[in-house]
Amino acid sequence: MSHRIASDLVANVIGISVAVGDRVEVGAEIALLESMKMEIPVLTEEAGTVIEVKVHLGDVVQEGDVLAIVE
Amino acid sequence: MTHAPNEAAAAVSRAGAGKAKVDRATDPRRPRLRLEAFFDAGSVELISPEDDSGMLAAVGTVGGVRVTAFASDATIMGGAMGIAGCRVVVDAYERALADETPIVGLWHSGGARLPEGVGSLHAVGEIFAIQTRASGVIPQISIVLGAAAGGAAYGPALTDLVILAPEGRIFVTGPDVVRSVTGEAVDALRLGGPEPHGRRSGVVHYIADSEADALATGGVMCRLLADQGELDVAAVTDVDLERSFPESHKRAYDVHPVITDLLDDGAETVEVHAKWAPNMVTQLGRLGGRTVGVVANNPMKLGGCLDSPSAEKAARFVRMCDAFGVPLIVLVDVPGYLPGVGQEWDGVVRRGAKLLHAFAEAVVPRVTLVTRKTYGGAYIAMNSRSLGATKVFAWPDAHVAVMGSVAAIRILHRRRLAEVAPDEVAAVEEELAAEHDRLSGGLPRAVEIGVVDEVIEPSSSRSKLAQAIAEAPQRRGRHNNIPL
Repeated sequence: MSHRIASDLVANVIGISVAVGDRVEVGAEIALLESMKMEIPVLTEEAGTVIEVKVHLGDVVQEGDVLAIVE
Repeated sequence: MTHAPNEAAAAVSRAGAGKAKVDRATDPRRPRLRLEAFFDAGSVELISPEDDSGMLAAVGTVGGVRVTAFASDATIMGGAMGIAGCRVVVDAYERALADETPIVGLWHSGGARLPEGVGSLHAVGEIFAIQTRASGVIPQISIVLGAAAGGAAYGPALTDLVILAPEGRIFVTGPDVVRSVTGEAVDALRLGGPEPHGRRSGVVHYIADSEADALATGGVMCRLLADQGELDVAAVTDVDLERSFPESHKRAYDVHPVITDLLDDGAETVEVHAKWAPNMVTQLGRLGGRTVGVVANNPMKLGGCLDSPSAEKAARFVRMCDAFGVPLIVLVDVPGYLPGVGQEWDGVVRRGAKLLHAFAEAVVPRVTLVTRKTYGGAYIAMNSRSLGATKVFAWPDAHVAVMGSVAAIRILHRRRLAEVAPDEVAAVEEELAAEHDRLSGGLPRAVEIGVVDEVIEPSSSRSKLAQAIAEAPQRRGRHNNIPL
């Protein structure tokens, strides 16, 4: 089962914490977003292997945009 | 979350059709067995006959607290509710109102009994009427153990707190009707199971991981609301509440460990609506032995912004606590309201107003602690002095302002900043922001004009909050708890 990790809100991508092939546990930080004057870490709710990172540093993401996929 | 959707859904629809070859004497869905599992061993006293009405009611104790309860009989017509069964529920409510006990419903019912026609609809409506009469008078808790459809969906929905067991499903119209009318193919799990009601609809306050967990959590809620205890200020020990905060003020964090530090260690606690509107946390627990309700922004989700669902969630929680005399502790770290077209069209103005109303009308002791920042309209909504907070505390580094100072000077000095060379903008902004902080006054000004009562240290916050609650008049709101 693949798990898509999406942004909850409009934000700037100011950090990407994983690369394709990384093994992640539940609660691992996937990316760091900046929005509403806050730096907001995005964590995975599922463990697995990162099979795709869909954003780059500096991207602006919209609510619901997928940041990475963990399988 | 992973499920085996089709199997579970099929099991639910089969239950309604009278699954063959289950021995009624040992059927785990029998209401008597479920009531015995809910109450303390040996304490159950039936207050309705064990017949084929489809409902069974009892009184007993749950962890020593007296509770009235009723349960659907899912072994007869899928728990369908007829005139006699509804009478059992109404009588149980009358008993609970007279005895002033919480009332708990164990629901597993496809709704009104078809053969009894409109008579059964009338009877179900009488349950709704007495539930509304009892609203805010005695705590009402619903534990949905199987399918709860149609009238059996609105029964739980009218109560204060709704618990959903893994096999529980709540919907007005089931998958077959949805498919025939709209053509949407959906199973019972995806239509009304733990995932949609836990995250999307807000119908359910607590998603249980087993039937036993559902029943046990119902007991915890009964004790927290009906056996609130006395606040013993001397017993409140201090911990550094800031210990789970990150160093950087800009960095988001999960507020749950802060609430765990705030509440009594080892005492019973339950978070309500944990997965729905997670940018606001609402949790019942104890401080100094006394039940309190915590309302906290959670910066980890949506930066802790207020939005439509979180305002509605907190408003309902605040009104429930006020109706039952539970003091409130409000932990504030809020950047503002979430901007967006979707928010406005979702009615953030109408739904956000509920939170203003809920706090402003509350008469229980309600104490606010600003940990990091509180800005703009969200500042007002989070139990500010203007809405009648019992006390407003702030930590020494907290920001209390209309907006962050950089954002403020970008508006106030727009023209001047437009003339600054691009590589100097950051430095000029920083200088202007510092000047703005001096002029607008920030926290010292907030203290001076009395909107913050006292600046306190994180390491003395537990005892300060407990003391503020203990010193306030212990009152209880005189209103019902409409399911906002």
